[in-house]
Amino acid sequence: MTPPPAMSVAAMMRPPTQAPESPANRDLLAVMGRPSLYYWLLLIFLVVFVHAVGAVWLFQVYKGLGIAGYKHPVFWGVYIVTFVFWVGIAHAGTLISAILYLFRSKWRNAINRSAEAMTVFAVLTAAQFLGIHVGRIWKSYFILPYPNQRGLWVNFKSPLVWDTFAISTYATISILFLFVGLIPDIAIARDRSTGWRRLLYTALSFGWVGTAKQWKAFNRAVLHLSGLATPLVLSVHSVVSWDFAMSIVPTWHSTIFAPYFVAGAIFSGFAMVLTVMIPVRRIFALEAYITEYHLENMARFILLTSLIVGYSYGMEFFMAWYSGSEFERSAWWYRAFGDYWISAWVMISCNAIFPNILWFKWARTNVTILFIVSVLVNIGMWFERYVIIVIGLSHEFNPDVWNHYLPSLPELTILAGSFAFFAMFFVIFIKLFPVVAIAEVKELVIHEKAHHGGGAVAHGEMH
Amino acid sequence: MPTLVGVFSQAAPVAALARRLRDRGFGDLEVYSPVPAHELDAALDEKPSRVRLWTLIGGLTGMVTGFVMTIWMSYDFPITVGGKALASIPPYVVISFELTILFGGVLTVLGFFWVGGLPYGRFGKPDATYSPRFSAEDFGLVVRCEDRDVAEVDGLFRAHDAKEVTLVEA
Repeated sequence: MTPPPAMSVAAMMRPPTQAPESPANRDLLAVMGRPSLYYWLLLIFLVVFVHAVGAVWLFQVYKGLGIAGYKHPVFWGVYIVTFVFWVGIAHAGTLISAILYLFRSKWRNAINRSAEAMTVFAVLTAAQFLGIHVGRIWKSYFILPYPNQRGLWVNFKSPLVWDTFAISTYATISILFLFVGLIPDIAIARDRSTGWRRLLYTALSFGWVGTAKQWKAFNRAVLHLSGLATPLVLSVHSVVSWDFAMSIVPTWHSTIFAPYFVAGAIFSGFAMVLTVMIPVRRIFALEAYITEYHLENMARFILLTSLIVGYSYGMEFFMAWYSGSEFERSAWWYRAFGDYWISAWVMISCNAIFPNILWFKWARTNVTILFIVSVLVNIGMWFERYVIIVIGLSHEFNPDVWNHYLPSLPELTILAGSFAFFAMFFVIFIKLFPVVAIAEVKELVIHEKAHHGGGAVAHGEMH
Repeated sequence: MPTLVGVFSQAAPVAALARRLRDRGFGDLEVYSPVPAHELDAALDEKPSRVRLWTLIGGLTGMVTGFVMTIWMSYDFPITVGGKALASIPPYVVISFELTILFGGVLTVLGFFWVGGLPYGRFGKPDATYSPRFSAEDFGLVVRCEDRDVAEVDGLFRAHDAKEVTLVEA
């Protein structure tokens, strides 16, 4: 074949045509658009509230833990309850991102980003409570094994040290997971923004242009992070449960604690994802991306884990009766019918009874019912930890030291502050980064196009 | 050197075309993809990604660190706790497990940056052949070739469902 003359090469030069913008980019980046007045009001309220609660905490640091409601023998109260609650919330993100990734469940694509972000913020919120709980915050680094003048190391046989390692690993891995997944989406935003946003996204996208080499390393890294995060997510709440199960307190010293806590964590995490995403989906008109199909699948997860949690409740009472141990029987009778019976029945009804409405398809596809159930589950799961920790401690072996604990006002204020702290991060995140994983949603769009001969893609049908 | 940029709406023809061009001796290829399309993973490079080596090294380092740290510290300041052996392995498995994950995960991300060649390009200046359409819904294939091969490559592009072929001097 004779090579064409150089002139013809020049003749072939033509300006590129204007490509149509992807509807997924347009719709999902619109969430990050100019914030409304309500957004600013909400953000200002959250920031002010968080700082006010920070002042309450400083007051507690100044006065000492005496202002919390602790009474011998109950020295683990709302702070530890809330710590376990937020660690539990953190579990849904990694479950959705890692485990459903390994199972190739494509429906996770629409919700994985927001769930991952919630994981990071929930772990950050939980970590605050370790510092709040120890009181003398300036000594909290003693839990880390660092070389010191006393030549002393931490006790690695203590579940509290295991917990430190588990929580810090979980925080690191979930931040990395979120960040790696964000890089392609930050590049999408970089290509479509100006000013300070363009600078920020240029820096954070690390020059991502989606070459084959980049995607290949990306796919492999996400696969490996999922493979690492899957055992991690199961281990974290197991380790949290061993903080209790390794002791000899009746109602704590139980071998089912690890699976029971992990199921509860996934249960509460999915509920929190629904509680947050249902309003976000409504406000930012994301119904085409986060469809009823996604909500229904999450409802099924909630139903499944509710059954596991309900089974565990029943099994704990059964084992107390079947063991014949007087201490166990008395402790369990006290849990259901003693002074704290309200907490116990809030826990049982919110976690094991109400979610059963999700057996019905009409309930799973009704957004209002889902929202109400998810809020009830959040309440129930907070009370579950309250019931386990406070009731267990207040009735130990020796009746002479039995006592009652009631949360004090500073404790409840800081509990409320934790929700504001979590919400503040999420509210900021929603305007800075894509709240739905755009590249992964588009994978489904392009896949659909190939199988339906191009043209209109019904986003609502994206399964 | 003339550079041809083909625009495609699906990943499969890009993968097929990349293989074909490589077989014909066009080694200077680049692919842009808006989505993590697994078809393209093997198109330019069949070998498994080397990120896996990073994960393995990180995980093993973490595991060894976990055991060495806990056992050494137990003997460095010996305190008997609960009548147990100074270095009792079962509780140390938990620490070692967490560090396996931690080091494995951190090295996976570093490996992702190293193997994926990030940061890429000069700061804030993407390739001349890159355009925002490749972060919309289009796939791109870039071929650098001699003047005399332009017509042939152009023909191959069009035979593989290219929506558009552009010639740029880059």
